Amino acid sequence: MIDPIYALIIFFAVLIVVLVLFFPGKGIITRWKKIKSQTSRVLIEDALKHLYDCEFKNLDCSLNSLTGNLTLRADQTASVISNLESMGLVTSTGNKISLTSEGRSYALRVVRIHRLWERYLADNTSVSETEWHTIAEEREHETTDEDANRLAARLGNPLVDPHGDPIPNADGEILVKQGITLNNLEEGKYARIIHIEDEPKEVYAQLTAQGLYPGMQIYVLQSSKGKIRFEADGEECVLAPVLASNLTVVPFTEKESVQESFENLSSLETDGAATIIGISNAMRGQQRRRMLDFGIVPGTVVHTRLRSLKGDPAAYEVRGALIALRKNQSDLIHIKKIKEN
Amino acid sequence: MNNVEEIIQKANKYRWDIGENLHDSILESIYTDAARIADKAVTREGGKQKFDWDRWIDKLVTGRWTGFPIMFLLLVIVFWLTISGANVPSAMIASLLVDTVHPLLKDGANFLHFPWWLSGVLIDGAYLALAWVISVMLPPMAIFFPMFTLLEDFGYLPRVAFNMDNLYRRVGAHGKQALTMSMGFGCNAAGVIAARIIDSPRERIIAIITNNFSLCNGRWPTQILIATIFIGGAVPSFLAGVTSAAAVMIVAVLGVVFSLVVSWALSRSVLKGEASAFSLELPPYRPPRFLQTLYTSLIDRTLMVLWRAVVFAAPAGVAIWLVSNVTIANVSLAEYFIKWTDPYAMIIGLNGVIILAYIIAIPANEIVIPTVLMLTVLTTKVAGFGAGAGVMFEMDSVSDTAALLHTGGWSVLTGINLMLFSLLHNPCSTTIYTIYKETKSMKWTLISTFLPIAMGIVICFLVAQFWRLFA
Repeated sequence: MIDPIYALIIFFAVLIVVLVLFFPGKGIITRWKKIKSQTSRVLIEDALKHLYDCEFKNLDCSLNSLTGNLTLRADQTASVISNLESMGLVTSTGNKISLTSEGRSYALRVVRIHRLWERYLADNTSVSETEWHTIAEEREHETTDEDANRLAARLGNPLVDPHGDPIPNADGEILVKQGITLNNLEEGKYARIIHIEDEPKEVYAQLTAQGLYPGMQIYVLQSSKGKIRFEADGEECVLAPVLASNLTVVPFTEKESVQESFENLSSLETDGAATIIGISNAMRGQQRRRMLDFGIVPGTVVHTRLRSLKGDPAAYEVRGALIALRKNQSDLIHIKKIKEN
Repeated sequence: MNNVEEIIQKANKYRWDIGENLHDSILESIYTDAARIADKAVTREGGKQKFDWDRWIDKLVTGRWTGFPIMFLLLVIVFWLTISGANVPSAMIASLLVDTVHPLLKDGANFLHFPWWLSGVLIDGAYLALAWVISVMLPPMAIFFPMFTLLEDFGYLPRVAFNMDNLYRRVGAHGKQALTMSMGFGCNAAGVIAARIIDSPRERIIAIITNNFSLCNGRWPTQILIATIFIGGAVPSFLAGVTSAAAVMIVAVLGVVFSLVVSWALSRSVLKGEASAFSLELPPYRPPRFLQTLYTSLIDRTLMVLWRAVVFAAPAGVAIWLVSNVTIANVSLAEYFIKWTDPYAMIIGLNGVIILAYIIAIPANEIVIPTVLMLTVLTTKVAGFGAGAGVMFEMDSVSDTAALLHTGGWSVLTGINLMLFSLLHNPCSTTIYTIYKETKSMKWTLISTFLPIAMGIVICFLVAQFWRLFA
């Protein structure tokens, strides 16, 4: 019989080795895969995407910014660029690198696949939103055009990705929405968020943690050098201007109907009644369809009927049926309370 | 000529113009139309509503102070009725199939001059396994499932899901998993099928994989027997009953804890790629339809599960008989295997007999103990127990069973680890097959099979080492 002390030592040694090898995200296996995946195809596609991004934002793209973006050494980047040049995908004059039309259509193809995957992850999986970009970044290099078309068809040929970026169609056409960044919006204006920049990841995580999503209506309360204070879906948010510059918004024109102030279904007290105003765009995919199937559409009257022990979930009466919703769902349903006499 | 392409282009153009909210708008207008039509055709009685029974019951069964006590009370009643109600018919069926029909069949075989191996394979192997599974499995299922279905039919079960959802939400699962889990206490295969009530893909797979952590009806007798012998035997006799009952409850509660922990881990790892959409309807209450419920639950649940178990049990009976009777140089295959695995099994606080029993008795947990006893007699060569190699048996007296197991070299640690391993091992083959049928996926089937075994081995190992260190 093996001595229990030795047995335990061997066990924990094996456990540590397994953890070091396979720990999700940080294990040696994952890192090794990541290094192996830096093939020339991946580098070329990532370089094209970055160049396209610069072009889209009207920035000049240099060897330096590309080196930073691809996390390579300068000489390696240079060889990638010369590779691209010989393939006729980019031209470089002096310090400035720009896309040829072939290069642009290749870049758009990659962008399309990337955004389709993000859309897929958002609608059809329970992957959290901070991970969409990272996973799409891997899959975009492994997807063929046919697969991308099939994916698009399965998703119902979506127009925008979950961050609000337009998805190029199969012919490489792309819809451009004009907007301004939130730090340039004046006080006292209503606007709609059309885009949330998903890079850098840390900033994106901060913005989504505030519950911001494309399609959200906001109202600027105060805009100063130090901070921007605004109301979003009835709740007050404060952002530093640096963060706010990652949000693109479109101010409401006079004609458009500004949605009056509303509350969330979760705030409806027990036995209270309310009219549905709408479902937030942050509720997506199957979950959204389920809500619509229940008849949760603008104009429907709901009553809160039951609360479970901790108040979550709560049961609502909708069109004669009793339906239980979790708080993270009822937070995304906009209502207007009905005052009962 | 280019008609089709033109149409597609036009459609694409409109798609860009109309934008994303088309589906919402269509649904909204459908509801508006429906409401307008309904308003024209339906008259509603105005004024104050009558006393609303549904609302009253809802307040009671989901109430702050009443909800959980009612839930536990009903659960206890259902289990008590199942356990106490199943004893008598179980004993009757066992005495009929095992004690009466089995010898008759043997006599018949002798009369017809069957060779000994043929009557062994067919009667001692296949038939006995079948008889055992039916007598232990049928009565509890025939009581448990109809009661469960009645509660379901009445409309109470969705309220349980409502009460429990807060807990299950935190581990990434659905409140209805509380229901499939309780169903699993009856039978894991039925619990896996019951996971159909969860319509969110991710949560449904979680419920299926973790169902095995509910101690099923085939494992309760093992737990009770082993706890009585080893836990109850280790304390003063006036405490024996309470202590062994507590030990069994601890194992069952441990199973619930494992199911929550594993749900949490799965929802954050391998199951991230599955969609999750919560919804829970609380249907109106209605008087249960007794006869219909009895009929459907007997046909759908009991007989179907039983049929699958029977299909798997017969070949297992053959295998059990063969490994103990096929000999090489006068030593049976079973003894070779037990001798070979014993040193490894000892490391995790079990023994070769238990390992072999769990491998060949994979079709049904019900026949694990009979197989263990038969194999113990086979390897220890004690006289006076059992009915020969490959013939499963159980003993009426607990103290005889204890004596036999002690002769087999069992200690308190073996008993504790057998209880843990009985909780944490692969699902029976009926359940594995059902998981495959329900998920249509090799991946989930393999995970549900091997995840519990891995957990069982690790936990038994740790318990064994710490036990040897400190006890």
